[in-house]
Amino acid sequence: MKCYTPVIYKGLSPCKPNAIKSAVLQSEQVQYVIKQLAKEMGESPDIIQEEATEILDEMGHRMQLGAVRFFAFTLSKIFKQLFQRVCVNEEGMQRLQHAIQEHPVVLLPSHRSYVDFLMLSYLLYTYDLALPVIAAGIDFLGMKIVGELLRRAGAFFMRRSFGGNRLYWAVFAEYVKTMLRSGYAPIEFFLEGTRSRTAKTLTPKFGLLSIVMEPFFKREVFDTYLVPISISYERILEESLYAYELLGVPKPKESTSGLLKARRILSDNFGTIHIYVGQPVSLRTLASGRINRCPYNLVPRHLPQKPSEDIQEFVSDVAYKMELLQIENMVLSPWVLVAAVLLQNLPAMEFELLIEKTLWLKGLTQTFGGFIEWPDNLCAKKAVLSGLTLHSNIASLVDGHVVLNDKGMEDGAVGEMVFRHALAVLMCATYRNQLLNVFVRPALVAIALQMAPSFRKEEVYSCFNFLRDVFSDEFIFFPGISLKDFEEGCFLLTKCDAIQTSQQEIYPTDKGSGTVSFLSAMFRPFVEGYQLIFRYLSKEMKEAFTEKQFIPGVRNFVFQLLEKGSTQCYEALSSDMQKNALSALVQLGAVKKKKMPSGFTYNVNQEAVSKILDMFDDSADAIPEHNEFLFPEYEILIEPEEPEFPADSTDDEQGAEDTSKGAKEQEELGAAGTADEAFQSLDEETLEAMAKHETEEEKIFQMFKKQVAAEPEQIIRYCRGGEGPLWVSGENRPEEKDIPNCVCGAKRIFEFQIMPQLLNHLQVDSLGESIDWGTLVVYTCADSCGGGSEYLEEFIWKQDYSMGCTL
Amino acid sequence: LEQASRWECDCFPKPYNRKAFWICSMLILSLMFFFPLRQELLKWNGWGYNDSKFIFNKKGQAEFTGKRYRLGGMVLPTFKEWIEKTFGASLEHKTTSRASLNVNDVPPSIVNEEFLQDLRATKISYSQDAEDRVFRAHGHCLHEIFVLREGMFKRIPDIVVWPVCHEDVVKIVELACKHNLCIIPFGGGTSVSSALECPEEEKRTIVSLDTSQMNRILWIDEKNLTACVEAGIVGQDLEKQLAESGFCTGHEPDSMEFSSLGGWVATRASGMKKNIYGNIEDLVIHIKMVTPRGIVEKNCQVPRMSTGPDIHHFIMGSEGTLGVVTEVTIKIRPVPEYQKYGSVVFPNFERGVACLREVAKILRALFASICLFLLFAKGHALKPQVASIFTSFLDGLKKFYITKFKGFDPNILCVATLLFEGDREKVLQHEKQVYDIATKFGGLAAGEDNGQRGYMLTFVIAYLRDLGLDYYVIGESFETSVPWDRVLDLCRNVKERIVRECKEKGVQFAPLSTCRVTQTYDAGACVYFYFAFNYRGISDPIHVYEQIERAAREEILANGGSLSHHHGVGKLRKRWMKESISDVGLGMLRSVKEYVDPNNIFGNKNLL
Repeated sequence: MKCYTPVIYKGLSPCKPNAIKSAVLQSEQVQYVIKQLAKEMGESPDIIQEEATEILDEMGHRMQLGAVRFFAFTLSKIFKQLFQRVCVNEEGMQRLQHAIQEHPVVLLPSHRSYVDFLMLSYLLYTYDLALPVIAAGIDFLGMKIVGELLRRAGAFFMRRSFGGNRLYWAVFAEYVKTMLRSGYAPIEFFLEGTRSRTAKTLTPKFGLLSIVMEPFFKREVFDTYLVPISISYERILEESLYAYELLGVPKPKESTSGLLKARRILSDNFGTIHIYVGQPVSLRTLASGRINRCPYNLVPRHLPQKPSEDIQEFVSDVAYKMELLQIENMVLSPWVLVAAVLLQNLPAMEFELLIEKTLWLKGLTQTFGGFIEWPDNLCAKKAVLSGLTLHSNIASLVDGHVVLNDKGMEDGAVGEMVFRHALAVLMCATYRNQLLNVFVRPALVAIALQMAPSFRKEEVYSCFNFLRDVFSDEFIFFPGISLKDFEEGCFLLTKCDAIQTSQQEIYPTDKGSGTVSFLSAMFRPFVEGYQLIFRYLSKEMKEAFTEKQFIPGVRNFVFQLLEKGSTQCYEALSSDMQKNALSALVQLGAVKKKKMPSGFTYNVNQEAVSKILDMFDDSADAIPEHNEFLFPEYEILIEPEEPEFPADSTDDEQGAEDTSKGAKEQEELGAAGTADEAFQSLDEETLEAMAKHETEEEKIFQMFKKQVAAEPEQIIRYCRGGEGPLWVSGENRPEEKDIPNCVCGAKRIFEFQIMPQLLNHLQVDSLGESIDWGTLVVYTCADSCGGGSEYLEEFIWKQDYSMGCTL
Repeated sequence: LEQASRWECDCFPKPYNRKAFWICSMLILSLMFFFPLRQELLKWNGWGYNDSKFIFNKKGQAEFTGKRYRLGGMVLPTFKEWIEKTFGASLEHKTTSRASLNVNDVPPSIVNEEFLQDLRATKISYSQDAEDRVFRAHGHCLHEIFVLREGMFKRIPDIVVWPVCHEDVVKIVELACKHNLCIIPFGGGTSVSSALECPEEEKRTIVSLDTSQMNRILWIDEKNLTACVEAGIVGQDLEKQLAESGFCTGHEPDSMEFSSLGGWVATRASGMKKNIYGNIEDLVIHIKMVTPRGIVEKNCQVPRMSTGPDIHHFIMGSEGTLGVVTEVTIKIRPVPEYQKYGSVVFPNFERGVACLREVAKILRALFASICLFLLFAKGHALKPQVASIFTSFLDGLKKFYITKFKGFDPNILCVATLLFEGDREKVLQHEKQVYDIATKFGGLAAGEDNGQRGYMLTFVIAYLRDLGLDYYVIGESFETSVPWDRVLDLCRNVKERIVRECKEKGVQFAPLSTCRVTQTYDAGACVYFYFAFNYRGISDPIHVYEQIERAAREEILANGGSLSHHHGVGKLRKRWMKESISDVGLGMLRSVKEYVDPNNIFGNKNLL
């Protein structure tokens, strides 16, 4: 057995866990709160003291070397089974060793898996460093024996929420601070508060951080070291669990039997773990010149004190800084790049192309400061292949093409298919997500470039700022330095030759168009997903709702759209994105969050949400490349039209049936996922309004409406030589003589008509300003003369809703 | 004289008779102190008397010269090793001060002839001699001493005047107003806040008003136990002269050999026996001050009055910005019947502080002084055998340590020295109480001699810096006051900050950074820090030193300590005044200055 003599804090006076507990109970801080509560509740202090003791017993750790050894032993076995390698930066461990001796240390690891804290404790044990005490969620205690074992290995447990309970807060805070002050052991907790289900760093929680910072503010310690630790997994143990959870299949409660079941996992391979122990950051250095000392000098230090605003701001800044350091040091595996490329090229991608793209992305990531672990001398093909092998549950190589494993039961219903596909996409996205925080600044600049009406710097910046605000909960931005982020994004894009900047303008280069479109495609799921969610809130949601109502509601909404095929944004199903979008709206002031006894309720200001949506819509449809002269590109889907329209025909039936009797063909616009019901309703309203002016024409117009209602988004109706066009109005219909014969002498017959809906898709629908038509009817030569490839002149008839026609 | 020579022969007269000491020093000193050349007794470029200093003798052993102090003539065999180990200093690397003042370097005296004529008419003695002027151009901050040794002040007084009574001062202030001159009052010259430094940009003639000739006790009122004294009297003379009548003031700041009563008032001084006698603000009954607006004083000499804010509090701590204090009525007490020293050793500083707090709580004003030293600077590998400069002090402790303190870690040992005064019975009773409390905190009584030696050191400690300066070691002490609950945190953090700053500023040798608790109050304590480092390899040591000192003060303030307990603000700590007393507070002081001295005659630029 290993001889374990850890390096400890120089000022440590050794003491047992129980001594700490009694010190906490006797501390002025806890005693003060006990007396206060006793006075307020009219109870004897002894009863409350008793309560405090219970809280402490529930919470406290009982670190024992025996348990630690036991853990170390079993963990080493388990880890050897599960993982190929664990890589640690040695110099980081050495720095940590110095830090632990010098000042109290707070370890701040990233949180992706339960393995995080087991691994970290195991690591410190292996390196002969003082074992940390860990703030763990109280739900672990539910695990019978394991909870107790964890406790003995140094975990202490905190309730997930205890905002209102002053006694709990006092005891907990004092417990943490006592351990910190005495340098008893490094304190470990997760800034993110919970495991990130998406592998994207979560926005930080401030409670525990402000507790561990307080002893320094009060100068009870000279300094405190904050150590950001980045733990990245080549394959996350809980990957499928997370995907299910995001899709709303509830999280299994932590239980011992669950853990036993997890043994099945042991036979699987989870690749390499990378642990990067960052440079310890001195809190003193961070605080120098920022903290006004007065509030702490004028009140006895044991009185509970609400932190002043600048302290709160400082805590938040530190939290973000630590997370950004975590992100900076997070090791990215080749598979992360593969996943990012693959997700942009669904459903299948040629293997060779994938390799090529992955290599290209590797270069880009490195330019942006990403920390890629690419095994030496490993050729790209091998790296991609080994990634595919490790993640064979997500994607596989079929006939030289890489595809997602989303098939499952082939014969499943549509809903089942959508679910399975979403599962695969979300699992794959978990890996791509690891890149996002590295890419977010340049990517938002790229998107802003496409959004902005011109290339002027201010306009691009204002779009960037908007995006940054909207995504403030989705990605990690240091608060308040929007301009700096923008400049950094521009700098990185310039560095990879994607853009050029002049004094006033930022414009994309020809060479960099690939990069810019790759970046915007990378973040498109978020842009689109947020739009879907905002749209849901602005249209579908009633005024006030709770989070419990919101999540299933928006999930159903997205699910239906996916089933219909009117969106491809599977990631909008992720509850993480839904919550982030909601909280972004709260921050932007479009949704009011109110605390009720039963929990939080939200009130939507639908107008404000629509306004935010407009900001997107001005641009989001335009995400395909465009400039000031050309309209964006779209794909046109062609479907036959039903001859009969039962009054109750619903969208659902339409997708399932496949009759094609109709003489006419109907072409539907499937603008890359942006077509949706908003347009539909908008059209109806406009048309209706116009129809009212045309009472005599009502009949024809009603016909038109009825016909169109079957497929509201149609832009072209095609029926060469058939029944003729579908008129919007009785006026200005051409007669035979109005249609000239073809140059070859043959008669011109009706071929197709362009519907007014196109105007909406092209966003040239502002009345009175844009071009406008009721319908455009194209007549072509009945003989189809001029079979060559040259252009021929044809005849077009423009019919407006009310007034005369023109050629 | 016979008595005196006997005392001089015997280094440790036992039992030490304090009264005898005063009488014999009086005999010697009264012969030597004649007008106006007291400065000839004192070093021109260092602390204290010319004949008293630490030197390394031919054997390379440290020795304290002169016969004024009990340490005089003693050899300190381990001191050399200690200084070498602590600072990495070596006797081979020596820097020497200029032997004497180079008169040519001194800025010329520029005095308006009309003023000189007026001044001559008043018959007040004055001097424009370079040495006289330089002597009054500085206090005892490190940078001032450094300038004396190696450079020259940019601005010094143009003329020194020696008024002998209140009326002289009135005349001088009137003349200064008439001719628009700048007056800087000068008492004992022991300032450690750059308060005596002449503002460089001062274009007017600077008059140094030396109060040293106003040194008489005007009267003693035995019924009311008060004495009216001229403000220029030096602490030890005051005690000595009062002792002749069987009285004392009990005000004993560490600088009492040199500092003056007027200086105490102007800086809000504190003495080490303040637990019984009180600080200067508790001792003063009446103050007469000459300002450009006229004379400010109260109409009666009463223990307390309710007449609005106490105007004494505008005067005390005004640091020479408002006027010259000329006469002070001060409380006196009969010389105590019995005096006893004591000492207690604690296993560590924490226990010591806890004990002091408890003693302060329970016994309050029943003992004269308690003072806690952190004996060995922790982390500097000081073994007890090389222990410290205070060899005699330590030798005693060492014996004790061997016989009794085997359980104590000598590296973090700490000792409290005690002084009891009063009638014999009470003293013994209080002594017992203190030792009982100390026992509760793990302290062990370490004997009377050790306590007494500890107090003696207070007076010679200031001489050490001059020795250090010869060997590339610069150092300084500074003080603060702090609530009890923050004492330990403050001490630890400030020491740590000093060590860290030294490292950052490129100081190559680990600095000495230690502290002691010198005063106890109900609500807090006064803490002294000692800080010194070897500056070899640093091109601008004074600048580095100042940066570190500033950082240390920042740290003190951040830890809830005060800007100063008794040294005052001067020009050294002005930058923190606003933070210390708020904008409005500063405005209040400014408006007083504005009213009292609108033309800034007292233009030493201290405080505000």
